[in-house]
Amino acid sequence: MSVLQRLFPWIVGLLALVYVAMVAGRPEHTGEHWRDYARLPVCADGRVKPLDTFARNSLMQISGRQTADFDGRRASATEWIVELMSSPSKAAGRNVFRIDHPDVVSMLGVKDPKRTRFAWSELEPKLDELLRQADKAEQVSAKQRDPYQREVVQLGHRMSLYARIAQMQTPLTVAPVGAGEDWRPLADVVRDPALSDQASAKSVISILAARAKDDTATADREAAAYGSALTAVFPGMISTSEHETLFNRIEPFYQSAVLYVLAFVLACFALLARQSVAGGTGGWFISLNRATLVAIALGFVVHTLGIAARIYLQGRPPVTNLYSSAVFIGWACVPLALVGEWFFRFGFGNLAASLIGFATLVVAHNLSSGGDTMEMMQAVLDSNFWLSTHVVVVTIGYSATFLAGFLAVAYVLGGALTPLLRGEPMKTLPKMVYGVICFASVASFVGTVLGGIWADQSWGRFWGWDPKENGAALIVAWNVLILHARWGGMVKERGVAAMAVFGNVVTAWSWFGTNMLGVGLHSYGFMDSAVFWLVSFCLAQLLVVGIAQIPTTRWRSVLPPRKPLESVRGAVTPA
Amino acid sequence: MKALKEAFSALASLRLTVLLLALSMVLILAGTLAQVNEGVWSVVDRYFRSPFVLIPFQLFIPEKVARIPGVLPFPGGLTLGVLLFVNLIAAHFTRFKVTWKRSGIILSHLGILLLLVGEFVTGALAEEGNMTIDEGSSSNYVEDTRSVELAVIDPSPAGDDLVVVVPQRLLERAARSGQPVTHGLLPFDVAVSEWMPNSTILGPMQSTEQQRKKADAGAGLQIAAVPAPTATGVNGAEVDAPSAYLTFSRGGKKLGTYLVSMYLNQAQPVDVDGKVYQVELRFKRTYKPYTLHLIDFKHDKFVGTDTPRNFSSLVRLIDPSRNTDREVLIYMNTPLRYSGDTLYQSAFKQGDTGTILQVVTNPGWLIPYISCGMVTLGLLVHFGIRLSGSIRRKAS
Repeated sequence: MSVLQRLFPWIVGLLALVYVAMVAGRPEHTGEHWRDYARLPVCADGRVKPLDTFARNSLMQISGRQTADFDGRRASATEWIVELMSSPSKAAGRNVFRIDHPDVVSMLGVKDPKRTRFAWSELEPKLDELLRQADKAEQVSAKQRDPYQREVVQLGHRMSLYARIAQMQTPLTVAPVGAGEDWRPLADVVRDPALSDQASAKSVISILAARAKDDTATADREAAAYGSALTAVFPGMISTSEHETLFNRIEPFYQSAVLYVLAFVLACFALLARQSVAGGTGGWFISLNRATLVAIALGFVVHTLGIAARIYLQGRPPVTNLYSSAVFIGWACVPLALVGEWFFRFGFGNLAASLIGFATLVVAHNLSSGGDTMEMMQAVLDSNFWLSTHVVVVTIGYSATFLAGFLAVAYVLGGALTPLLRGEPMKTLPKMVYGVICFASVASFVGTVLGGIWADQSWGRFWGWDPKENGAALIVAWNVLILHARWGGMVKERGVAAMAVFGNVVTAWSWFGTNMLGVGLHSYGFMDSAVFWLVSFCLAQLLVVGIAQIPTTRWRSVLPPRKPLESVRGAVTPA
Repeated sequence: MKALKEAFSALASLRLTVLLLALSMVLILAGTLAQVNEGVWSVVDRYFRSPFVLIPFQLFIPEKVARIPGVLPFPGGLTLGVLLFVNLIAAHFTRFKVTWKRSGIILSHLGILLLLVGEFVTGALAEEGNMTIDEGSSSNYVEDTRSVELAVIDPSPAGDDLVVVVPQRLLERAARSGQPVTHGLLPFDVAVSEWMPNSTILGPMQSTEQQRKKADAGAGLQIAAVPAPTATGVNGAEVDAPSAYLTFSRGGKKLGTYLVSMYLNQAQPVDVDGKVYQVELRFKRTYKPYTLHLIDFKHDKFVGTDTPRNFSSLVRLIDPSRNTDREVLIYMNTPLRYSGDTLYQSAFKQGDTGTILQVVTNPGWLIPYISCGMVTLGLLVHFGIRLSGSIRRKAS
């Protein structure tokens, strides 16, 4: 190995570390003083959280992103919400409402087809018509609505959220300082002047009043003072709030997704390097593979820290809703794939680890637009030992089934359509798939059973044929079916791979499809566009299953090498 | 003899295992999709605990995409369960020898057998119901919200009421056949002119005169009941509320046509030759040997929301037959297990005035725990042996 090849993984590791350090230490886009506002605790959806979290979640719902466009400058969610609360008329000019459907846009009388975000001042003149349309669409059951109706209903919800913030009805900003006090919205104080004696009400009012007058210096001072005053009363609240603000700012899952992408690119280069060298283990292959591992490891560390931070902030097990299940599935898949890599060392474990890590974080990101991802749970879903172990183990089972499926996809596509798997990988990849299926069978079975035990403890029914339970049963049954088919000699490497690919469909159904049915205690709500992605995903998997029907003797990784590329090109290009 | 042997080896084959697993998956998928339009309990009965089921093709395709008539005859959960059971036992008799290497497989398969037995026992013997208690009062019976009964109450005996109940099954049969329900203990015959498995009530201003004419006595003179689609899903919150129009007669003489409904809170008086009986439709009751007295119900919500955070019931458990009289706190995930029953905190009455406990009697509740322990241990042993083998191979 050359010196550069030896040093390359270290260089990649160093650069990635520098990136993480820069992200963690970067200042806010709009100056330091917003931190004093961001950390102020408010209460919404039953949880005390920093204003920052509430602002980000609200802006995410309204605008589909966590920053607002302030005349070309990117303003933080906190800055946006403080402006909305203190100077609603100014805030009404900010383009924050995301509208995609062209018919809704044209209803507003806007001609520019490129604009996707609109201001309250543009919506307000059409308010009556919008509300009438939303009302009509609301009367159609959620499943029957067409895209226009869905958009109108969503817009109605967004506008109502916006209006409630502007009218100080949500979040509850007045913290209970004295005895017998409760969290209150500022709107209550306006209605009942007796409440304005409450110390925290005074502070909040003076902050907002100063900002309304553009007296930034006073407002900043008041915000800092209010924060310190709350620290004296509730020592824990502000520090937890600060930690959550830090968590929001660092966005650990976003950063680890970036690192996984880097790892994925490196893994692809590694495979190409492997291909270009006869025998398969050239110096660059080893070097790139190590660099990949370094990037994955760093991404995984950040991923882990993110999950740990959520556990700390929430005081709950890692999986509490669909969003966190996506984050956790990715987290569990990565080390599993690395174990596979350790066994066989030809780069495919790394490829799978980085791809699944990235893909699940993207899925999680798309699931987070519904609001606070650390929302409070129904009492029955309150944690206990069985529930915590159930969600963790069953999620690992889902992860492993996905991992087997993705390795099988790599085997089928890589083997049938490319010469990349020539030699050793054609033999070892199916072994990996099989090993992961064995693990998946155990984990999904144990996880499902733990869920049954929890259900028995909680409401006396070990098994209730609930859609989500049935989904878990399907995964267990499918894994067990694959194993028995193999043990009975009904399928060999190619058959197991094809079945494992179909396992992706089964798992996706259990994870998301059952939620879309809109029944069952486990349902987290109906998701519109997710249906499209789910169907597309399943069709893609079926296509791969179809490709797997080609006999291995005709796979490109098995056929003798084609003629060099140059001669082919020469034959096609006209002289 | 040879044919018998062949049949037995077919019964023991792995091909049959794979086929049965695949059929089970189709059944489970269909049983899940069916819950979009149907209540979970009827799905469980029709799909998972029956020998045979007709699956409509339409289940698999949304009606928006295409309308497909026709049904697929399919083996039900009972058939598949029994076949899997037989297949597993036959396989162990023909193929498997008891060795250490096989110990994990054998153990986990025994666990699976036990799991199938457990689900069968649950299906056959388990009973579920609700016990609703108002704060400061007591209850000694469980209501099954999935079926109702007609109670005919004779309040005349001193100290006790004499109650005769007609189960839902008989009322439904009477509605189908047109034959009235008669019994020596009943003070009158009960003919069912209309039976509604789920219903809504129309008030005096909402109902037409024609609808109100269905009854000629009692509450049905003011209000009317009309059929409603039966509840779907498993949230438990949606419970069917049946109503019926019943004609009572004695010795050929008509006493009147009454509306009875789960929506009516009070029993209606029926005059039989000067003796007054009270009549009501109510959830099927099962009386217990013990009594619970609700001392206090507590319900916390998350600040500023209606999401329940916690609820708990402080009750006094009284059972003279076992000399028991003690206080118990029942709350989320912490049930009371007593005399074969398990009582869970399930819900509460509006305004936190009372508690609703779920009462489950399942003699087989321990079976899944044992079987799952066996399967888990078996799988860990089996794959552990295999994994250590392959690691050793890799090392050498």
